[in-house]
Order: sequence, then structure tokens, then C-alpha cells
Amino acid sequence: MENESFSQSIDKLKFQVKSFQEGFSLLVQSGDLQELGRNFHHLLRGNFLVTDFCLFHKNGEAWRRVYGSTFEETDVTTWLKPSDQFVFESVSGQKTRLAITLPLIDQTHFGLLIGQKLDRSDFGETDTIALHIFLQQLDNAYQFFISQKKEKQFSFDLNHRVVQLNSLIDTGIELSKLNNNSTLFETSVERVVSITNASFGVLQIMEKGNLLREYSIPEGVPGEFILKSDNLIQSEIEFQSKTYLFTLADKESRAGAVPFEATDELLLGAFARQVLTALENEAHHEESIEIEALKRELSVAADIQKKIIPTKLPDIAGYELAGLNIPSKEVGGDYYDCFPLGDGRFALIMADVAGKGVPAALLVSTLNASLSAYMSMNMPLKDLAGKLNSIIYKASPADKFITCLIAVLEPETGKLAFVNAGHNPGFVLRTDGSMEKIDAGGIPLGMLNMGLPFDSAEIVIQPGEKLLLYTDGIPEAMNEVEEEYTDEKFEQFFQTHSHPSPEKFISDLLEDVKLYTGSAPQSDDITVLYLGRN
Amino acid sequence: MIPEFKITSTVNSRTLILVTSGYINNVGGQKILDAYVSQQDVIDTVVLNLADSHIVNSIGISFVIEMIEKLGKKSGKLIFTNLDPTIDKTFTIMGLYHFAKKAATVEEALALSN
Repeated sequence: MENESFSQSIDKLKFQVKSFQEGFSLLVQSGDLQELGRNFHHLLRGNFLVTDFCLFHKNGEAWRRVYGSTFEETDVTTWLKPSDQFVFESVSGQKTRLAITLPLIDQTHFGLLIGQKLDRSDFGETDTIALHIFLQQLDNAYQFFISQKKEKQFSFDLNHRVVQLNSLIDTGIELSKLNNNSTLFETSVERVVSITNASFGVLQIMEKGNLLREYSIPEGVPGEFILKSDNLIQSEIEFQSKTYLFTLADKESRAGAVPFEATDELLLGAFARQVLTALENEAHHEESIEIEALKRELSVAADIQKKIIPTKLPDIAGYELAGLNIPSKEVGGDYYDCFPLGDGRFALIMADVAGKGVPAALLVSTLNASLSAYMSMNMPLKDLAGKLNSIIYKASPADKFITCLIAVLEPETGKLAFVNAGHNPGFVLRTDGSMEKIDAGGIPLGMLNMGLPFDSAEIVIQPGEKLLLYTDGIPEAMNEVEEEYTDEKFEQFFQTHSHPSPEKFISDLLEDVKLYTGSAPQSDDITVLYLGRN
Repeated sequence: MIPEFKITSTVNSRTLILVTSGYINNVGGQKILDAYVSQQDVIDTVVLNLADSHIVNSIGISFVIEMIEKLGKKSGKLIFTNLDPTIDKTFTIMGLYHFAKKAATVEEALALSN
């Protein structure tokens, strides 16, 4: 009999040892506390024939039911002690036989209420020892559960940081793409709201305190509403007199709203700077497109001008003639010409359009065509000037006009009729060394169309005398300290310098101007037409 | 004033099809989880159509992970469809595709679930 009882005890111990081994592996498989409670109940049922069991958890003041519904709230308040110590108490409640408080690693507690065994026997000494071992396993399983939870949280947080960095990089790349103005602002707000766990975000674009536009996430939420939050962070950038104000509101967590962190402010600042960089890049890109367009425009204008400026001047018997045009930029507004009128006379033209580029080239082209059409009509020069004034006025914008000196030479007699429409006076160097200005005329062509009269005059160029027509690019040429070459210096050079040939004179004049201006860039077009009577 | 997160759910055989619209954050994530929990006893696959959700935060993702864990306990599965590229990349980095699948459309997802 004793042997049989001993044998049963050995079998029971063997079974419990096996239960201890299986118990722990069962408990650590629990995904949450409810499952932990359920699995622990399996152990109790299997080892002690207990059906009534509830597991409670206390984090702070109150016990929270985790598993089981057998016991009432009154059982909890009656039997579970608010102790920080381990309590294992045999009690005699209506249902309750054991009340256990188990302190846990994270300063929280498990409360266990266990009912009577199915055979209604008491928990003996062996049962108590086995229960203590199972409780130790429950504690270890909870530690494992907490550790796994922490590991998951750590992994989640780490991945979240990677998402944040990745989003920052990806957004930077996306924003740097040109011509994405339509999505630039929405994308930046959407991304920064997402990676900071903000509930709301808005970008407000303002100028002089006035709101121009706003982009909010979620879409449709007024910025005014978002700004009312008492949990917000902001970052601001300035670009081309506009203010771009980024606001994030209400940081989320699973437990509810939490304050924004320093990292969130860093991220918001980084996104704002990315937007600033994108705006700057866009502006630079537009600028370079404009420059390219201007270059193309200048190239077109240069082609027009090349066709108008004479490549070869006519031979005039008894005279020497030379001319030169050096534009200051790709296309200037200066124009000169000399062409026969078909009756033995020659027209000499010197003109300067206000402005440069295609508009100036087109105006020069209009003048050139008009001169070709009207000069052969042999109309008086003052009438011709009036006619040209009207044509240029109609063909030019308000700020464009042409100063122009038109002369007609009768080579045999040396008679030179001229009209000066607001241009620099021409000079005639007489054989006695004196100089005569030719400046009779009127206002520049195209400036006003009020029928103001033009005056014209006539002089005679005697053998050995020279005529010099030019544009203001010579007297107004500037040196490094922005001092002009001056009319006086120019007139003096014409008057005193030797005149071996028209080409040599022009070359010497340019050299003198260059000597004066030094390294300063050419500030205006330089155009000269030189006529010497042999 | 605040645009509401919307979710519609349909049960097709033992598959729950959820279609969301709006920001998947604390509110959106909770609604997705609630929609799953309300049907969890009669389904074992969830198809989550995110065609009208273009923004998600990590709180929203934590709810989706909770749903994946619950599905995992019963050997169920989750299939995302109609993913915005940014959300797709976020899910990849967060490791969601170790436990869930993705498909281009709901139809493809239903074919995968069978």
C-alpha cells in the first residue's frame, strides 16, 4: 500500500516536472496578456484540476481584468491586496481559495484569484510548491513578454527613424526636380506631417502679412483651425519677399496627443529648407531660360543687323570713304550706310536707335527700308525727315526712337545737303584747320508725331576737306572710373591728328579711345563714317 | 470642418475587404482595427484597399501591425492593394511585407487569397 502511494507520488512529480517544462514554453508563446492568462489557466487546470481562475493586472491604482470572468469585482477588492510584495494567501471565500499578488519586473502587478479544485480538496504542501514554481514561470514569461514588446518597439522605432530619413532624402530629390511647382508645397506638407505623426499640417504663403495661399493636410482643413492648437511647432522661410510658414499641430501616439519632440522640429526645419532650395533652383532655372531666350533673340537681331550694315561702301570718284561699326553687345542699335541715289548723288546715313536687341534691330531695319524707298524720290530732306519720323513713330514702342543724320552728297560740286534728327552733330574739317558742325534738323525720329518741322541745311566740302559722322559711343566711351572720353577730346583728335587715309584715321581714333578706356568694357556701340575729298 | 476618415467593409466568403479614404493615423488606424475585430470570427483574410489613402503615419501603421498579429494567430493573412508608392516604400521599410502581401488591385488580392 505504501509502495503504491509512493509510486503515485513519484508519477505525479514526474508529471509536474514535465508540466513545468511544457508550461514555460506554453506561457512564452503568449502574444498578449489575455493569452498569457488563458495559458496559465491551462496549466492550473491540468495540474490542480482548477476551473475557476481570473488574472488581473495593476499598473497604478486599480486592478484591470485581463483574463477570466469567474470572479466578481467584490472578490477582487476583498482578496487582492494593494501590496508591493509577493502575497500568497489561502482564503475561504465563496469561490476563492487562493489570492495571489505577484510583483512584476516593470513595477506593475499580477493579481490571481484561484477557485477550489474539482475534487474540493485543499491545496496541499506539494501543490503550493508546484504553484510557486508555476508563478515563477508566469513571472519569467511576463519578463519575456515585456522584453519581446520592448524589442518590437525598438525595432518599430528604428524602422520609423529609417522612414523619416528616407522620406527626407526622397522628398529632397522630388522637390529638386524642376517644374514641379504644382506639387512642391503639397508634397512637402504631406511628407512632414506623416513622418512626425502630426494630426495636421499647413503651409501658408504670405506677402506683407497677407495670406496668398495655403496647403493643408488633411486637405480642406483651414489653416486658421490648425493654428488654434496649443500643441504646435512652426518653421519659416523667406523667398522673394514672400514668407512660407510651415505649421504642424497635435502630435499623435497610441495613448493620445503628446508634445512634439526636438527631432520633429529638426525635421520640419529640414523640410522647410528643402522647399527653399527648390524655390531657389526653380528661380535660377527660369533665369537661365530667360538668358537663353535673350541670347537667341540677340542672335536673330545680329543676323538682321549684319544684313543692314554695309560690308562694302561705294566708290565715289574724287573722294575717300571708310566706315566702321563695333557693337558693344551682340547687337547694337547703331546704323550707318552710304549708297548711290541713281542720279550721281550719294546718301550718307548715321543713326542710333535708343535700345538694343531685336526691337532696335527691327527699327533699324524699318529705317533702312524707308530710306531705300524714299531717298530715290528726291524729296527735300526736311520733308523726308518728317515722313520718316511718322513711319518710325508708328513702328516703334513709346520708349524707342532713332537719332539720325541724313546727308546727300553731290560729288562733283562737293555740295552736302543734310538734316540732323537729334543726332550728334557731324564735323567738317576745313583746309584752314577750322571745324564746322552740321546740326540743323529737329527731334529724333519717332519720338513725337506732332508735325514738328525739321530744318535742313547745305554746305560745300572743298578739296582736301573731311567729313566725319559718328555715334555717341566715341565721346561717351568710359574708362575704369566711368569718366567719358568727351566731345572735346574727340573733336580735338579729329582736328589735330594726321589724316593719311580714312581707314588709318579711324584705326588711330579707335586706338586713342581704347587707350583712354583701358580695361573698362565697351559701354556703347561705336560707329564712324569718314568722307575725305581729294 | 475636419475631413472624416472613411472606411467601408465587405465580406466576400471568408475575406474581409476594407476600402479606406483619408489619413491613416490614430483615428484611421483605430477604425481599420475596429472594422477587422468586428468581423474577425467570420473571416481569415483581409484585403486592405488604400486607393484613396495617400498618407499614413507610424501610429496608423501600429494599428495595422496589431491587425496582422491578430490575423497571424489564426493563420490568417492581410493583403494590401492600390498602394501609393510612398506608402508602399514606408511599409517596406517598416517590415510589413514580412507578414503581409500586396497586390495591384482588389481582384488580384482576391485571387491571392484563394
